[in-house]
Amino acid sequence: MKPLVLNQIIKHYAGKTAVDQLSLEVEAGEIYGLLGANGAGKTTTMRMVLGLIYPDEGEILYDGRPYRKELQHKMGYLPEERGLYPKVKISDQLVYLGQLRGMTHKDAVQSLHKWLERFDAMEYLDKRIEELSKGNQQKMGFIAAVIHHPSILILDEAFSGLDPVNVEMLKEVIQELRDDGTAILFSTHRMEHVEELCRNMTILRRSKPVLQGNLRDIKNTYPREKVVLRTAHPLSGLSDIEGIVHVEPQDENGRYLIHINQEQAAQQILQLAMQHGNVEQFEIKEPTLNEIFIKVVGNNE
Amino acid sequence: MNKLGHVINFTYRNKVKNKSFRWTTLTLAVLLLVGLNVPYFIQLFSGNNGEDNMKIGIATSSYNEIATQIQQAAQKQQTLSSAAEDTATNTSSQAKDTQLQWQAKAESESVLRQQVEDGSIGGYLLLQKPTTGDVAFPTVTYVSEKNNATIQNLLQTATQTAKVQYIAEGKLTNTQLEQIGTPVIVNQTSIDDLNKNSTEPKENPIKSNTENYILVYLLMILFFFSLTITGNMIASEITAEKSSRVMEILISSLSPLTQMFGKIIGVFLVGLTQIASYGIVIAINLSLPYYQEVLAGFDLHVSNLSLNVVGFGLLYYVLGYFLYATLFAAIGSIVSRTEDLGQAIAPITMLTLAAFYIGIFSISNSDSLLMRISSYIPFFSPTTVIVRIGLGSMPIWEIAISIAILLISILFFGWLSARIYRTGVLMYGKRPTLKELRKAMKSYKL
Repeated sequence: MKPLVLNQIIKHYAGKTAVDQLSLEVEAGEIYGLLGANGAGKTTTMRMVLGLIYPDEGEILYDGRPYRKELQHKMGYLPEERGLYPKVKISDQLVYLGQLRGMTHKDAVQSLHKWLERFDAMEYLDKRIEELSKGNQQKMGFIAAVIHHPSILILDEAFSGLDPVNVEMLKEVIQELRDDGTAILFSTHRMEHVEELCRNMTILRRSKPVLQGNLRDIKNTYPREKVVLRTAHPLSGLSDIEGIVHVEPQDENGRYLIHINQEQAAQQILQLAMQHGNVEQFEIKEPTLNEIFIKVVGNNE
Repeated sequence: MNKLGHVINFTYRNKVKNKSFRWTTLTLAVLLLVGLNVPYFIQLFSGNNGEDNMKIGIATSSYNEIATQIQQAAQKQQTLSSAAEDTATNTSSQAKDTQLQWQAKAESESVLRQQVEDGSIGGYLLLQKPTTGDVAFPTVTYVSEKNNATIQNLLQTATQTAKVQYIAEGKLTNTQLEQIGTPVIVNQTSIDDLNKNSTEPKENPIKSNTENYILVYLLMILFFFSLTITGNMIASEITAEKSSRVMEILISSLSPLTQMFGKIIGVFLVGLTQIASYGIVIAINLSLPYYQEVLAGFDLHVSNLSLNVVGFGLLYYVLGYFLYATLFAAIGSIVSRTEDLGQAIAPITMLTLAAFYIGIFSISNSDSLLMRISSYIPFFSPTTVIVRIGLGSMPIWEIAISIAILLISILFFGWLSARIYRTGVLMYGKRPTLKELRKAMKSYKL
């Protein structure tokens, strides 16, 4: 029984359709990526999953059953514009939020200490949120979402505003949670995070799912259109090969970036390069998710 | 249910721990302490005056007989009133301070004037021939540096008695004279009081109302101010939770109804704490022996307070609080930024103001039609009913209906506010219009 199944969800908001016929399934121990430009319907979807608003049509099933109150204790939520009480001590408010998720005071304190240690942030225990840097505030928000060991975790733009070191730390933590069997629904507009973390994903465009499925499969269906080539000496005659759209001039490291529109052109490029001397690097690049996203969603949004 | 406790506890502790809350409470308590002692200080200073010379001389050229009569009448009156004081503590203790001492023999005016100036006597009575009319009875003037109404009153009555005596030329007996000298008192009482006390008629019904009058006044002020303070607290806390987005976590953890009522009850307890701290200050002051004297000086006695007023006052305070608090919570939930709160709250503030002023302005006319109607309007009844119970007459069945209406209103507005709250907390941006709100409310189940 999958922890989270969305089945043909439709939600209208003030005359507009916020989410249109969205279906997705998240398994235990999986991070599911929800992608989309701003206003595409990610937050609305997450709010429906959390039971804050109800879909007009379709159904959301948790372990095969509809929403019920005890899920409040099983779900964790990191909202996009995260916030905690600015003037309340961290220990006070995180323990309080844990208690509201059904924990005893003792368990909440224990869990809080464990998480603060994990984030190397024990010294903030008695600080107030407003005294913390943005990145640290975000860690506290994350702790608020996971303090009660949720089995379904919903993360809205979890990495926004974090420095690279903290992004890595948080990624690790999220992967640990996944390996522990948490079903994670993860929204972002940073494609590289989805590529690193998610097995399955959905791209929303103007409330509609436009691209959905396994990340590998999706990538394989998109043609490979870039070739990276590094040779010892400059190369001539590249433009004669059929299927080459555009050759970008060599960069400082002597690398060519060649745009093609036929896959066999890549082999011809390699042959040409080998005829002219040593090939130091040759790679047919698979499309990045970013490129796919822009292709699907369009750059104008 | 457990979560409700957590919300109440969290709300209460954070508010009470708050530095600004502690300072306001402390400052107000100190102000209250000073304010309560103002009468004492006044008495302290006027007491200095009272210690002044109470010696009085008489200056007269040809009215020796009348002068003696005035003196006797004044002395008799004073012995009477001090005797009354012994039996009934009700009487002003100030009479003691104004025990006049008459100088043994009459002196000439110039001597007396000198004595007043150097302070060896407090003043003297000057009996002069009237410039017009009957010259038989003199014009009486009291010459003194100090303006003392009590002495003046005393002398006036004494002179009146002397005049009657003079006119009657010994045809009246002493007892009759005494009776003429006794001032008449017209009491006012309500029929209810008469009925209640038909077996033991009250000595002075109008006096016993003064305490209740003050009590009713205090209850109304208490209701208005604590409602304004706590109501704003509720609304701004909810708006702050919303604008800091902690609301999204809260609302996914517990039901909005629990959240809202947890907050309302938590802030209610905060308000009670504040009131209790002021109450302790007042109680300590009132129980101090010297303060009892001060109160007695104003002829006020705590024992005269009506338990009915206190009891119903507290009941209506609590009910009124919950009625308004739910509205404040609803308003707080639809506002996204604290800056916009004041404007949004204005209509409710107007309601509390109306309740307060209807009560205050009708305090001397407590059974007017306006008051009767207002007793059934739940937003106004918390003040108006108290005025009617305390100072007018309100049949028990009217009170029962009024409470019933209030309770039903609390349930209705509690339900409505919870729905608005449920909808409002997730609506960000511009404050929604009523129409938008109604539309949005349909998509939420409570």
